[in-house]
Amino acid sequence: MVDEEDAKEYRWETGYEKTWEAIKEDDEGFLEASVTDIIQRAKRKRQAQKLPNTKLGMMRHLYLLLDCSDSMSNQDLKPTRLYCTLKLLELFIEEFFDQNPISQLGVIIMQNKRADKISELTGNPRKHIKAITTLNRTSLIGEPSLQNGLNVALKSLKLLPSHASREVLVIIGSLTTCDPTDINTTIDALKVEGVRCSIIGLAAEVHICKQLAAETNGTYSVILDDSHYKDLLFQHIEPPPAAVCLDSSLIKMGFPHQMVTEGTDEPLTMCMCHVDSVEEGSKLTTGGYYCPQCCSKYCELPVECRVCGLTLVSAPHLARSYHHLFPAPSFKETDYNNQSLICYSCQKSFTDLDKHVYQCPKCERTFCIDCDIFIHDVLHTCPGCATNPAILQSNSD
Amino acid sequence: MSLELETTKSEDFVSTDEISLLVIILDTNPGQRLLRENPQTLTQCVDSIIAFGNSHLMQKSQNKLAIMACHSKTSEFIYPGASKTLDIRQIDGQYEVFTLVERTIKTNLHKIIATENTILSNESLLAGALSMALCYIHRIQRNKPPGCKLNSRILVVTGSGDSAFQYMSYMNVFFTAQKQNVVIDVCALDQHLSLLQQGCDITNGLYLKIPQLQGLLQYLLWVFLPEPPIRPKLVLPPPVKVDYRAACFCHREMVDIGYVCSVCLSIFCKFSPICTTCHTVFKMPGPLAVKSKKKKMKL
Ligand SMILES: [Zn+2]
Ligand SMILES: [Zn+2]
Ligand SMILES: [Zn+2]
Ligand SMILES: [Zn+2]
Ligand SMILES: [Zn+2]
Repeated sequence: MVDEEDAKEYRWETGYEKTWEAIKEDDEGFLEASVTDIIQRAKRKRQAQKLPNTKLGMMRHLYLLLDCSDSMSNQDLKPTRLYCTLKLLELFIEEFFDQNPISQLGVIIMQNKRADKISELTGNPRKHIKAITTLNRTSLIGEPSLQNGLNVALKSLKLLPSHASREVLVIIGSLTTCDPTDINTTIDALKVEGVRCSIIGLAAEVHICKQLAAETNGTYSVILDDSHYKDLLFQHIEPPPAAVCLDSSLIKMGFPHQMVTEGTDEPLTMCMCHVDSVEEGSKLTTGGYYCPQCCSKYCELPVECRVCGLTLVSAPHLARSYHHLFPAPSFKETDYNNQSLICYSCQKSFTDLDKHVYQCPKCERTFCIDCDIFIHDVLHTCPGCATNPAILQSNSD
Repeated sequence: MSLELETTKSEDFVSTDEISLLVIILDTNPGQRLLRENPQTLTQCVDSIIAFGNSHLMQKSQNKLAIMACHSKTSEFIYPGASKTLDIRQIDGQYEVFTLVERTIKTNLHKIIATENTILSNESLLAGALSMALCYIHRIQRNKPPGCKLNSRILVVTGSGDSAFQYMSYMNVFFTAQKQNVVIDVCALDQHLSLLQQGCDITNGLYLKIPQLQGLLQYLLWVFLPEPPIRPKLVLPPPVKVDYRAACFCHREMVDIGYVCSVCLSIFCKFSPICTTCHTVFKMPGPLAVKSKKKKMKL
């Protein structure tokens, strides 16, 4: 539904080649102005579609189900489907944890009819990126089994507490799946457990993928080129609407503070996070974060206390997610007729070249298109509203 | 603007195609305690900021400067300033540029203060000013000549206190600055600012609460003039441990252990059956609920 409309916009830009370079350079302005313009408009449109204040599944548990079968060696994405996918996934994982700081991710690969978990469900991006990079050397063999892959994910997601949002994101290049039994029983089981399954196809539309997405409230889309691929993948950074069967609960969490007493040297202590790490080992260090419940020490947050099980986070970790719930209002596009001489936030002077300007419905300030996108993509705060005491007060009530 | 300076440029670490942009946000809100009790302090602050801004421009000919004034109801760029009212004659020496900086700032500041209404508020909307500064920096970044590197930082100079109701905007601003590699420095004139201190920590900036206002210019030049890349080589005030504990949404009190809503991540200091932020009704953690979910609860 949404994807079909987006796809229409993207058809305009299929003129350029599917090269990895095109993705890498798009921030540096290598693409033609018209393409930039189309992407800008697509971004604005997607922002406009976001529904404010819908309940979101914030504590996400997402399995990436990655096709590593023979079909991934296809070179329609440069240099290969797999290589392009791995590069995009590295970016995706970084951004995922930046935007979903207390969520968890796991990676499962499908090849030769088997499914293997190469990275357990965890909140540590570096572990996943390390696992992903080793796939560079994996040999792409046989057919994938979607059913086996889904079953591995389901087995682990089933064990999560009932307030956890459960998701699977399948990236598949193959047009076939080689399953041991009827995949419909697996789809039914996923539905029962409230696992939302989304699929990104790298080749062409496949019926079973469409059905899986439709029945589990996920999305299904097929890429047009590498730039579209990145875009589709990055749509999964946003937390999805909460599943209907998702329980809500209050979760006990610890907010550790560093143990310092004015004027004294910090004690040397051992951290719990490196205790069983073979490469690094646990070192005696000063500093670190102490569990407020049992006083175990950790080098990094967020982490689940290994001793008492308390989830340890810092307040800014939680705050990184607040913009999903309290987004900046969408701006209205209007024709430019000297409403304002300059953009309210970046101070750019409007000229005849600015055909449209963008107005915040709340504070009614006027912005340029670059600020409109920057504000909604990155900043998440309207500078006009944030410098208006009346609006600020009413927001915080 | 291009400045022709005779002063020797420091060659040891900066290459000439690096531009250093400094945005100063000066809290000129007449409602802050410092200025209410002692209005002439403003002149001293403004003079120190002008001298400091000029020192930044003097360091390297490519350096750029922008200054904002932040109030309780408005935040504006007072330098360079959009209005072309000042008659810019041919500038043939550094002193003319410095005079221009001073005249622009003072003229624009007079305009803002003249329109300030008589009801004073002590809330300065610093998070809003920071968000404008980030958009401004983002534009300069977009329009910089190709192949040239822009190092941007923001210095906040304020006598106001922490403001809990700007919390969300502050956090958005800090994470954006961190992503865009913009350093946020804070010079607190009157009160300790724990929120802004977190911002300095997140963006690798410096936080300093100055002991007395008389020495403002010295502190600015000593602590905040050196650019972030050379700071590790200097003897600067030691970093302070930042308190990252959370403030509960119900009482705004700092908590070690709290309860977090699984839907909206609001933090509460004790269990309540309904989330006051998103109105979600929670499952009671009674013995019955625990029993039926026993298998699932152990994570
Ligand atoms: Zn513990
Ligand atoms: Zn703008
Ligand atoms: Zn607004
Ligand atoms: Zn409370
Ligand atoms: Zn809530």
